[in-house]
Amino acid sequence: MRLRKPVSLLITLFLCVGGVISFFPIYLALINSLKTQGEMFASFLSLPTQLHFENYTQAFNKINLLNSTLNSVIVSVIGIGGIIFCAALAGYKLSRTGGRLSALIFSLFIASMLVPFHSIMIPLTRMAKTLHVSGTTYGLAIVYIGLGVNMAIFLYHGFVKSIPRELEEAARIDGCGEFQTFFRIIFPLLLPITVTIAILDFLWIWNDFLLPLLMLTDSTKYTLILSTNTLFGEYNKEWSLILAALVLTAIPVIVIYAFFQKFIMQGIAEGAIKG
Amino acid sequence: MPVKSYKRIASLIAFVAPAFLFYALFLLIPTLGGMFYSFTDWNGLNPNYSFIGLGNFIEALREDPDFVNSLLFTLKYVLFMVVLQNGFALILAVFIESKVRTKGFFRTIFFMPNMISTIISAFMWTFVFSQVLPQIAEKTAFKFLDQLWIGDPQVSFFSIIIVSLWNGVGYMMIIYLAALQGVPQSLKEAALIDGATPLQTFRSVTLPMITHAVTICFFLTLNGAFKVFEVVYGLTGGGPGRSTQVITMNIYEEAFSNNFRYGYASAKSVILFVIILIFTFIQIGVMKRKEVEA
Repeated sequence: MRLRKPVSLLITLFLCVGGVISFFPIYLALINSLKTQGEMFASFLSLPTQLHFENYTQAFNKINLLNSTLNSVIVSVIGIGGIIFCAALAGYKLSRTGGRLSALIFSLFIASMLVPFHSIMIPLTRMAKTLHVSGTTYGLAIVYIGLGVNMAIFLYHGFVKSIPRELEEAARIDGCGEFQTFFRIIFPLLLPITVTIAILDFLWIWNDFLLPLLMLTDSTKYTLILSTNTLFGEYNKEWSLILAALVLTAIPVIVIYAFFQKFIMQGIAEGAIKG
Repeated sequence: MPVKSYKRIASLIAFVAPAFLFYALFLLIPTLGGMFYSFTDWNGLNPNYSFIGLGNFIEALREDPDFVNSLLFTLKYVLFMVVLQNGFALILAVFIESKVRTKGFFRTIFFMPNMISTIISAFMWTFVFSQVLPQIAEKTAFKFLDQLWIGDPQVSFFSIIIVSLWNGVGYMMIIYLAALQGVPQSLKEAALIDGATPLQTFRSVTLPMITHAVTICFFLTLNGAFKVFEVVYGLTGGGPGRSTQVITMNIYEEAFSNNFRYGYASAKSVILFVIILIFTFIQIGVMKRKEVEA
């Protein structure tokens, strides 16, 4: 669309101001995390005269960075892997099978997408305790599988419709069993939607705060976000330390964003439109 | 063919079982369990409890001013978020879409805050609100920046909105951008040739073609805004007092840090669920009708 010059300039101005606001807190956290406490309070806006990395080494130890990151990775990998495995199987079969039972199960999954997490957090924590899955990294991952399969099934269910049935029939004639047909023929064809699901679930699980807060009590099991939360509570006036921890926590997602930006945006748009 | 249909059901169960097992344990049973306990006076520990009918619900809505206030505060928040988040996201998407050369750059910048965990965003902004803005106000002419951004509940409502928008607008913007790309260029050009101004073209050509995205984004914002927790937890902690407490936080406090009234807290959870359901159905109903008209 061709716009008149002044209008176009105004839009650019608007976008630039918005862009600055968008980036401002991250920028502030970054520059101030490299200053000493005294230099920081003299002026928050000035660039650091000397780079002080000791905030980072301190934060690194205080949030137990390697351990916390590892915990977050374990939870994400098992959670996402489990969701994809379970949901692909179920979504495929529910999409291919007609009949009332199949429709009933599918609508059970779909209806549960409207249940807010906060409405089930109380019985869920009880259930996790009863099953002895609370308090461990693996247990947390397993709970994520239970909470995440419904949306993944929904997305797989829709996607499977676009795959021609002839492929399965050909595989069957060639002597493939049902599971073999699924893993060898169908699952690879589901890759685009699998990527979408993996991205959406990664953003959710990696950044989630409340469920780990409810499930984990032992600080060696803490996820990255939870460790940073604890640090924020303990050192609430030592801003240079806190900011360093915040930057450390934000780095992994920013790096992933830099590499997978296109997939992430595509994943969000697709996930939303299918929904 | 009874044998064949039996086989079909067996195969269906084999494929669905793993997903259903996790789903039943961590979603279905807790949902039903929560509803069940909302009618009891269970305290979470004692194996004995009795049914008290709608007692919990009546108490929550009639005799619990903290809960009612948190409910009203949340409703106000939802209203602001639905309007502002979608407004900003749509404006940004349209503006970014109009800039052919810098499209990618601006999209990257505006979406970035969304990648950062909500609670981390809230901590970053706590720094900005409590330290940076007062200093800027002191040193420059921008005196209006000297506010009790977090301490004064009148102001901190808007602090909460600002952080939520900062964190959330990018997500909606991506959805709107994807929808805008689906609007055929030829239609817009045709409208322009017929003498429509860009604003008219947007209203009569572009907007009707992206109503689907508008419905989705309203749904996502509405749903997300009712469930707001992290931003408030990180920024004000619900305070001062309980003046900025949202409904999820009230439930959390009731269940986990107060007096272990699980039955009562469950009733509050059910109220939240019902409210979200009602609003969602109204919103979807109204907007679907609009979509058909358009």
